[in-house]
Amino acid sequence: MRGRRTAAIIFLALAGGAVILLATGIGAASVSPGEVLRVFGEALGFLEPGSSSTSYTIIWKIRLPRVLLGFLIGASLAAAGAAFQGLLQNPLADPYTLGVSSGAALGAMLGILFLPGSGFSWQLAVPLCGFLGALLALFIVYQLGRVGGRLPVTTVLLAGVVVSSFFSALISLTMILAGQQLRSVFFWIAGGLGMRGWKYVLPVLPYFGAGLLVLLYFSRDLNLILLGEEAALSMGVEVERVKRAVLVTASLVTAGAVSVSGMIGFVGLIVPHALRILVGPDHRFLLPFSALGGGIFLVLADTFARTVMAPVEIPVGVITAFVGAPFFLLLLRRHREKYRF
Amino acid sequence: MEVTLRVHELSFRYGGHPVLDRLSFAINRGDFVGIIGPNGSGKTTLLKNMAALLSPEGGAILLEGRSLETWSRRELGRQMAFVQQRENSGFNFLVEEVVAMGRNPYLSRLQGLRREDREAIDRALSLTGCHHLRERELFALSGGERQRVALARALAQETPLILLDEPTTFLDLGYQVEIMELLHSLNSREKITLVLVMHDLNLAARYCQKLMLLHQGRIYAWGSPAEVLTEDNILEVYRLKVLVEPHPLEGTPQVIPIATPEGAPRMDGRQRVHIIGGGGSAGPIIKELYLEGFSLSIGVLSAGDSDWSTARRFGLELVEEAPFTAISEKRYRENLALISRAGAVVVAPFYVGPGNYLNLEAAWTALARGKPVFLLDEPPMASRDFTGGRGEALFRKLIREGAILLEAPDGEAIRRRMAGRGSND
Repeated sequence: MRGRRTAAIIFLALAGGAVILLATGIGAASVSPGEVLRVFGEALGFLEPGSSSTSYTIIWKIRLPRVLLGFLIGASLAAAGAAFQGLLQNPLADPYTLGVSSGAALGAMLGILFLPGSGFSWQLAVPLCGFLGALLALFIVYQLGRVGGRLPVTTVLLAGVVVSSFFSALISLTMILAGQQLRSVFFWIAGGLGMRGWKYVLPVLPYFGAGLLVLLYFSRDLNLILLGEEAALSMGVEVERVKRAVLVTASLVTAGAVSVSGMIGFVGLIVPHALRILVGPDHRFLLPFSALGGGIFLVLADTFARTVMAPVEIPVGVITAFVGAPFFLLLLRRHREKYRF
Repeated sequence: MEVTLRVHELSFRYGGHPVLDRLSFAINRGDFVGIIGPNGSGKTTLLKNMAALLSPEGGAILLEGRSLETWSRRELGRQMAFVQQRENSGFNFLVEEVVAMGRNPYLSRLQGLRREDREAIDRALSLTGCHHLRERELFALSGGERQRVALARALAQETPLILLDEPTTFLDLGYQVEIMELLHSLNSREKITLVLVMHDLNLAARYCQKLMLLHQGRIYAWGSPAEVLTEDNILEVYRLKVLVEPHPLEGTPQVIPIATPEGAPRMDGRQRVHIIGGGGSAGPIIKELYLEGFSLSIGVLSAGDSDWSTARRFGLELVEEAPFTAISEKRYRENLALISRAGAVVVAPFYVGPGNYLNLEAAWTALARGKPVFLLDEPPMASRDFTGGRGEALFRKLIREGAILLEAPDGEAIRRRMAGRGSND
């Protein structure tokens, strides 16, 4: 297992770099990886300017922020998914199925519509509105899904579906009431990474970075909770405290992502599963690996979304669902003996 | 003896419904205690209160003299371990990863395993015989192996006290005994205090030093297995008529269920049957006819043989002879006196030798006096005659003269025949 983990981390790190490089090059105007590297070098001041201004604009101003954003969003959703799955001991939990994403989307949308001001602080504040929405959704799911002090897999998922539909309805209603701003909000809510410049990348970073560190801090507690809450209690884990901290943190990370990209499903569900098979369920490894894997997955999906039917762009959420659902089924079948629900 | 855990006036409710009602008792250091009782008697609730997984509504639980609430989870994790009925394993850890989790109470959040932790893990794996499993995945284990791993995890906590919730319930017989033997050696060699919730009364009696019988949230009996597992206690608490026999090898009480009081003896006394048997041949007949509601007598039995003890337990009127002594004329006559009061005679397939030939004679006398006589012949007479043919000859004569051969002890058939003949004299 240890050898496998080392191999996996080397592989994923290399794959991450390669995917970012290639994805930045691919598009309507194709740019070679060498040219991409050259533009990176120029932008960061390592190289004298020499490339054409068009490829500089395409790569540095348009494609790279989109790719990096995709990476951060995928990483956030996958890390949050891994944490939710572990904490709720529920292999089917993720920000999307739990309704946390829709809560975050509603909160963020209200923030976009009603928060005064603009600029970077506004950019940072919108995810906080999303965070409040995510917490509200999670609280409702938690209350609805609880049966006699427990959170059974099925009732939690049902509660997630209910809350998700309800919040989606609220989102639609708000969009109609918002009237003139409908168009901009609609683009955002459909879940996509297009037309997002650097100013969208930076606000996600603190939520993701701080969130991942907090989740890692609780990773051993999460491992123990996987053996059951009573077992964890008897081994010295303050379960309720850990639960609160992890749920709040995972919601915050989700909100950071959803506030920028809208709702993108399946990333938080599939990626932790795939990596659990690769590196085992230990959260000290699973959380960072899931983040890395989620980033790679979403960048690939988005690259596919914007190129396969170019110039028409498919929402990336459609791709993740198309790829995700069969992939998930495949995993489920192949590892049936390992994933008993 | 030193008290380690003291429970004082403990009460607990689930949704307004009282589950535990003012329990008080103490667990001493080195005890091996089994908590038994029917479903819903509060066993698991009591154990979880002791493990600080539930908080009492009334009363107090003191660990080493300090109320449980004043301990932090980490401190508690070094004092007592808890093994669930079925360890949750929805995610696929390696065995050694799970056992290493037992070290959590000794480690700060960002600390890795130290040498003493690795030693504790090794020790726990060896004590439970799990060393060869350490690289295996949890899902690949059998039920018994999984239970041993759960125990290893608890041992890695290095606590003087371990609480276990029905550790044998989901295991087959072989694994049940294996786990109990393991617990026994942990208790006697490692001096670990054990408190178990048990369903299987016989396993509990065989391995626990003390038993606590719970009934409707209160302690009904509390003491040695022999003191607690009595036929009366079990009838009262489980609503079950049982025999309690000493274990043939260990001497501990073993419980043999007979019937629930609803399905059992009507004992109207009108239909009286006399049984002739010995050496354990009459057990099934006694049970069947007892449950069918006949009033029973039996003779002549050798005092101390297994039919004799069964008959005494069921309260049969009986004629006994001193052990290893041939049936005397006096006992033979007493037996005939019992037969004359019965409406029918059932002859068990007993081994016939010179010492008890008179029992077969008694059957013949009964038939000659017009009593219906029923014979059971499995194993067949030829194989159980040790009188040089005399017994077999008499047996054949019985059949010839109208004794009825039964395939099995069948109370209904006997009742029909007796009704046909007109029973009592």
